[in-house]
Amino acid sequence: MIVVNEEPLDWHEGMTVRDVLRARNYRFPMLVIHIGDTLVPKKDYDTTTVPDGVVMKVIHLISGG
Amino acid sequence: MSQLVFDPSKVMNIDYTLRTEYLEGLEAIKAAHKVLKEITYTPSLPDKGYTNRTLYVNVGTLEIKEKPVTQQMKDVFIGGRGFGLYHLWNAVKPTTRWNDPENEIIISPGPVAGITQYAGTGKSLVVSLSPQTDIPIDSNVGGFYGPLLKFSGFDALELQGKSDKDIILFIDGVKGIIRIEEAPTDPVDSHVLAEILTHMYAENEADLPNISVVSTGAAAEHSLIGMLNFSFYDRRRKCVRFKQAGRGGIGTVFRNKRIRALVVRGPKVAGDLNHPADPETIAKTGIKYHKEIRENDPHQCMMRRNGTAHIVEIMDAYDLLPVHNFQFGSHPDVHKIDSSYWQQRCTQVTSDGCWYGCSMACAKGADGLTVRTGPYKGHLVSVDGPEYENAAGLGSNCGVFDPDALLELNFYCDTYGICTITYGTLTAFVMECYQRGILNLERTGGLDMTWGNAEADLEMMHQMARGEGFGKIAGLGVKKMKEHFIKNGWGDPQLINDIGMENKGLEYSQYMSKESLAQQGGYALTNKGPQHDEAWLIFMDMVNKQLPTFEDKAEALYYFPLFRTWFGLNGFCKLPWNDVVPADNASQPEPQKVPEHVQNYVDLFTATTGIKITKEDLITQSAKVYNFQRVFNIRMGKGLRLHDAAPYRSLGPVTKEEYESRAERYDKQIVDEMGLDPAGKSTEEKMALHREWRTGRFSKLMDSVYTRRGWTLDGVPTLDRLKELGLDAFPEVVEVVKQHL
Amino acid sequence: MRQLVIDFKKCDAGRNCQHECELECAIKVFKVDDPAQAALQIKAYEEGGGHAVLCDQCGDCVVVCPSEALKRNKLGVVMIDKNVCVGCYMCIGFCEKEAFMRNSDWITPHKCTSCGICVKVCPHGALSIVDVPEPARRII
Repeated sequence: MIVVNEEPLDWHEGMTVRDVLRARNYRFPMLVIHIGDTLVPKKDYDTTTVPDGVVMKVIHLISGG
Repeated sequence: MSQLVFDPSKVMNIDYTLRTEYLEGLEAIKAAHKVLKEITYTPSLPDKGYTNRTLYVNVGTLEIKEKPVTQQMKDVFIGGRGFGLYHLWNAVKPTTRWNDPENEIIISPGPVAGITQYAGTGKSLVVSLSPQTDIPIDSNVGGFYGPLLKFSGFDALELQGKSDKDIILFIDGVKGIIRIEEAPTDPVDSHVLAEILTHMYAENEADLPNISVVSTGAAAEHSLIGMLNFSFYDRRRKCVRFKQAGRGGIGTVFRNKRIRALVVRGPKVAGDLNHPADPETIAKTGIKYHKEIRENDPHQCMMRRNGTAHIVEIMDAYDLLPVHNFQFGSHPDVHKIDSSYWQQRCTQVTSDGCWYGCSMACAKGADGLTVRTGPYKGHLVSVDGPEYENAAGLGSNCGVFDPDALLELNFYCDTYGICTITYGTLTAFVMECYQRGILNLERTGGLDMTWGNAEADLEMMHQMARGEGFGKIAGLGVKKMKEHFIKNGWGDPQLINDIGMENKGLEYSQYMSKESLAQQGGYALTNKGPQHDEAWLIFMDMVNKQLPTFEDKAEALYYFPLFRTWFGLNGFCKLPWNDVVPADNASQPEPQKVPEHVQNYVDLFTATTGIKITKEDLITQSAKVYNFQRVFNIRMGKGLRLHDAAPYRSLGPVTKEEYESRAERYDKQIVDEMGLDPAGKSTEEKMALHREWRTGRFSKLMDSVYTRRGWTLDGVPTLDRLKELGLDAFPEVVEVVKQHL
Repeated sequence: MRQLVIDFKKCDAGRNCQHECELECAIKVFKVDDPAQAALQIKAYEEGGGHAVLCDQCGDCVVVCPSEALKRNKLGVVMIDKNVCVGCYMCIGFCEKEAFMRNSDWITPHKCTSCGICVKVCPHGALSIVDVPEPARRII
């Protein structure tokens, strides 16, 4: 189990940042993602694995016309 | 889930130079023009962003005069919306209503407007007393009129009085002529009128881009929701295009004054006409930004390919896209009108900015539409957009998922001169009333307003343009329709009030705010009414959980409305601020503010005016105008807590269908937020619990926001706050407030 | 289309010449005695070798120009019409080769027009004008 934006999410072995985005249907392209206190660059979403038990923040920047 | 990739091979092969032409009658129309008044003046270019004079025109008495721009005007009101509110305050009395001769329409571009080196710098702000809200409305619009007005010598144009015949105001900023002409036989609708006038007033083909026309259309004459089209000449398409000052019915005021059009002929635009204090900083800041767009836009929002329509599928994915009058936040047919479609349908091989130097270039155009209904049936037209608001408002919110129908609705809204946002929201309301039996075939005069019936939707719009039938009632807007339906006993008053999405008399724009308390405030606790240009906080609040407390939400509802007000003081567009971000934005403190771009704005203001400011000054500049506008509302008999009330549809689920469609979410909130057990309770009981919780927290939000803004709990700016902002220099402002303290 | 090309087998990135190409361009084309204003710029790498900043006439700038000030002439060379240019500098920001330039004295930007003035003065014969096919217009 991990926590993403204050809500729990089921964790699985080898889960990447991209998997988390997919699980939450986070489609917005302008994100700022932290695992704990570590910033994950956009280019690393596919390759960065998410350890069990972490707290993640997926900050969506402001959108809307 | 992966981001949409643009595939150039899928773009439809449409000839963007082909369309129906309307120039045949030009000579006869011109011959019928009669000069009512003509004066000469000395044109001048701005100095450090200001020409230091404004132009006053009374279309009733034909008085034309120049007024000086005072230092106090610049210090307190900056320009743009600030100048508009200042002039309007001086023009009207508390008893003035929109159709009185004293009411004005003020157009002002702001000091930075007209530079060509940075994206989104051609905006004008239009201010008037709104026929929908009876308070000042302000609308931020692109197109060339504002910059060309300034380059003709004026920081603002004030239009007052009422004419008894149709007139055109022509400003020739090259020859120094201002002329009021009677225009007895000019066509009414914008796409015909502006094409004719652009060619009529241009001296030759090379002069076409130096002409800009402000006009509206037939529906503005018969409704309260008229808008103004600001034209710009598209050199590649070889056609006149528009951006809209949409909200609040300014087009209706325009036609009530019997103004047919405003035409400006400015000097040929060059990069230095605004005469900034420090052109080097402007050039460097602009080039840095253009590079950022080139490098980042293709993998961020793709504004250059999709315009604002890129968020149709995003809003759908987050349950935020209004569907069926804001009942639901997503729909399975959205893929038919999302940006994967529009990027194939819109012309892509051209340059789409609504002012020079806009590298964001979101003004997309769908060319080659053959119109299927109405007076232009069979004509081949180009349609601007569709922007997000149009796709959501005319599309999903009304259940219209046929892209060609959506384009036709968009086309007619534009040429008839009505706001697409307003029309979308009021039609969604009409459709829901029809579905729920509040309306029926008899009451609509035969219009079958079933969800998604674009044919009936278009017919209602044609009626609005003709001033006939149910279309005329719909054109009064949601607030007056609610009163009309209730008075006629056509349905449960509470239901009608709950589902009519207006606040202060203005229709909501196209985002679902039910699950974001901050956005409920972002809509309802606004100066002009529920438009997202003050604050868009849904992701911060609902998705990111960055605003957990009332104080956090109040802080966001303090900062963002003030920050975003600043764009309209200076002639900026909001989109280049946050629809692309620098590559290292994620590692900056407060990335949601896009700190590098805020610094760009500080630098551009200072480089233009020569006045050194900081990021904090920017907020203070806005706060003066924002609080002045709030006091203006109070002066007009509104602007208090009761006028900030929100329709329940914007706060929570009104109907069983809404509740049951998202029952898991709502049940969980009963447990988590209210500490109660939903088991064994009926939907009605659970809805009642939600209503109590949701209206209670909205009321608490009002307390927090008013306090943070330096207002009383009734929403009145305190004397201390006015003093802090220097607004106590205006005794009338202090007088208004004193009566409410 | 006419294109200026540089052969780095012959050019030593200015290590054994006086940047005659840049100077000639600055003086003859732009009438300034400052090689930094030239429309081609030879840059040496610290580790050896180098590169040239110059316009290959790709035409991306023609697509982004909002005022149609940029057009190809009959030789295929992208030319700027200074009377039409609005000084927005989108051509500069969108040039991937950074070959579109400006300075603080001129309101309009400038770039190489494959005129060939520099070719004649290169002591190493590294510069030449070639004729290559015009690339298709890109969506940018």
